[in-house]
Amino acid sequence: MELVILSGKGGVGKTMIASSLALSFQEDNRKVFCLDADVDAPNLHLWLGGATWQSKKELSLTLKAQIDQKKCIHCGKCQGVCFFEAIDEKGNIFKINPFTCEGCGACKFVCPAGAINLKKQKNALFKKGKSKTGLPLFSAQLFPGESGSGKIVDFLKEEACKQSCDVLLIDAPAGTGCPVIAAVKDADFALLVTEPTPSGFADLKQAHELIGAFKIPFGLVINKFDIHEENTEQMIVWAKSHQVKFVSKISYEKKVFQALSNLTPILDTDLKTKVEIEAIYANLKKVCQ
Amino acid sequence: MRTIAVTGGKGGVGKSTIAILLALRLTKEGKRVVLMDADVECPNDYLLLNTSLGKKIETIKAFLPKINQEKCIKCGQCVKACLSNALFQPKGKPPVVLPELCSHCGACQLACPTGAIENNEQTIGFIYEQNIKDDLVLLTGQTKGIVEETGPLVGKLKKAASKKTKKIKADFLIIDTAAGLHCPVIQALLGVDSALLVTESTPLGLHDLKLSFELTQELKIPVKVVLNQVDLGKPELIDSFLEEKKIKTALRMPYSKDLVDHYANGKLIDFEGRNLKWSL
Repeated sequence: MELVILSGKGGVGKTMIASSLALSFQEDNRKVFCLDADVDAPNLHLWLGGATWQSKKELSLTLKAQIDQKKCIHCGKCQGVCFFEAIDEKGNIFKINPFTCEGCGACKFVCPAGAINLKKQKNALFKKGKSKTGLPLFSAQLFPGESGSGKIVDFLKEEACKQSCDVLLIDAPAGTGCPVIAAVKDADFALLVTEPTPSGFADLKQAHELIGAFKIPFGLVINKFDIHEENTEQMIVWAKSHQVKFVSKISYEKKVFQALSNLTPILDTDLKTKVEIEAIYANLKKVCQ
Repeated sequence: MRTIAVTGGKGGVGKSTIAILLALRLTKEGKRVVLMDADVECPNDYLLLNTSLGKKIETIKAFLPKINQEKCIKCGQCVKACLSNALFQPKGKPPVVLPELCSHCGACQLACPTGAIENNEQTIGFIYEQNIKDDLVLLTGQTKGIVEETGPLVGKLKKAASKKTKKIKADFLIIDTAAGLHCPVIQALLGVDSALLVTESTPLGLHDLKLSFELTQELKIPVKVVLNQVDLGKPELIDSFLEEKKIKTALRMPYSKDLVDHYANGKLIDFEGRNLKWSL
């Protein structure tokens, strides 16, 4: 089973919940495989209490266009077709902006002089490892300034699918763009995490639209539900009208922040949050069966 | 006119809150400000200001392929040209478009030898304008539906913001970016005068701050750090990194129940950043 945890909004507790659920599956003797799809800023290993990396490999999953200035006839056709506006012109010299070039290759097709080539670009470090408790974990780090987060997530998922496991647990990044689409697209179940604030609600709806496009069933976790009970109620009503499988709540506890500062997994604490996460796991297990 | 970006690798550390408090602070000093919400996948600034997105000032459209079944010779050139895997060709049949994966680049259309790919143009997002106060305008970009590549929308938003700053003779453009480091964030950061990296004092905050700092170094942008909820975690973690890299702090913001309440109620404008000691 492929389980994805996402939220739209950042910092609402995705990784905290993902890591706790992974540990719960492990305690339950289920074979779980963790995939950190937040390749921009991967944190899952930290929430799992740290990891040892058994192998690291550089990936070249993106392309960048290059203009051969000797062949260029300065016609500007490349600039005209670039949707990413990644071709700059100065004094009739055309140059690719490596920060915005997506390597789509459209420019190459229109260049009448054959002056444009696509070159593979190293864009991430792929890491295979094990968490402190022995959970297998795949992670990757996008190199700052590079692009192709979605392709990196695709790669991680392909690699992970070669492993045998009962549950592939995917921790998605914030937002709804390419890395999130890649994280979500083949999932069997999605856990949407939110907080009862106007922004949490708006972003929840964005995330829901995304999983809806892929027809993925979902459960909802409202983190810090008690900071605004009225908003929480509204979210529950909304979720029920969208065929949510279950709704779980987590209280706001300042001590979670301290646990986090000490990299203590929530399940190793005696916080209320721990009990609440156990309830989420129970709900999830029912749905998965 | 100065452009300041508010960024930070990690989500939920307070980027939007800080961007708004900064904008309000500048208006208090008599400056005219354009605030640009560049988190186009999940824009929140308008919600924190307890208002609506405002007037729709621009509709952003993009190419989406549509296969003309009569002209298609099933050669597969378009499928080969598509590096986003958004075209799939069942054996012996014309290709099928998977719109959720399309990056709107148009390479397939350029590669097709028979002109069988038509432009089924799609709206990928909108730009909105909201007048918050006489001296503060909010511009928001928002994607429509599922959009694979959000960088170009941020690019269009920046152009609109630049126009607006000239029109109202703004002193500052404040850009609130998305979380992470990828295309929409890079697009938002390109060409800014400086950036504030917002973080929290936890190992995760430090981890993502380092990444965000590396990105701004790569883009040659001078930075200062905002340490949010500084008293809740372990600020010494962040401080030793700042010392090592010689990065200055623009603000150390303590945890405030009052601020959290204003945030949850979408009334940050009433909070106004009381007693915050900025050093910009």
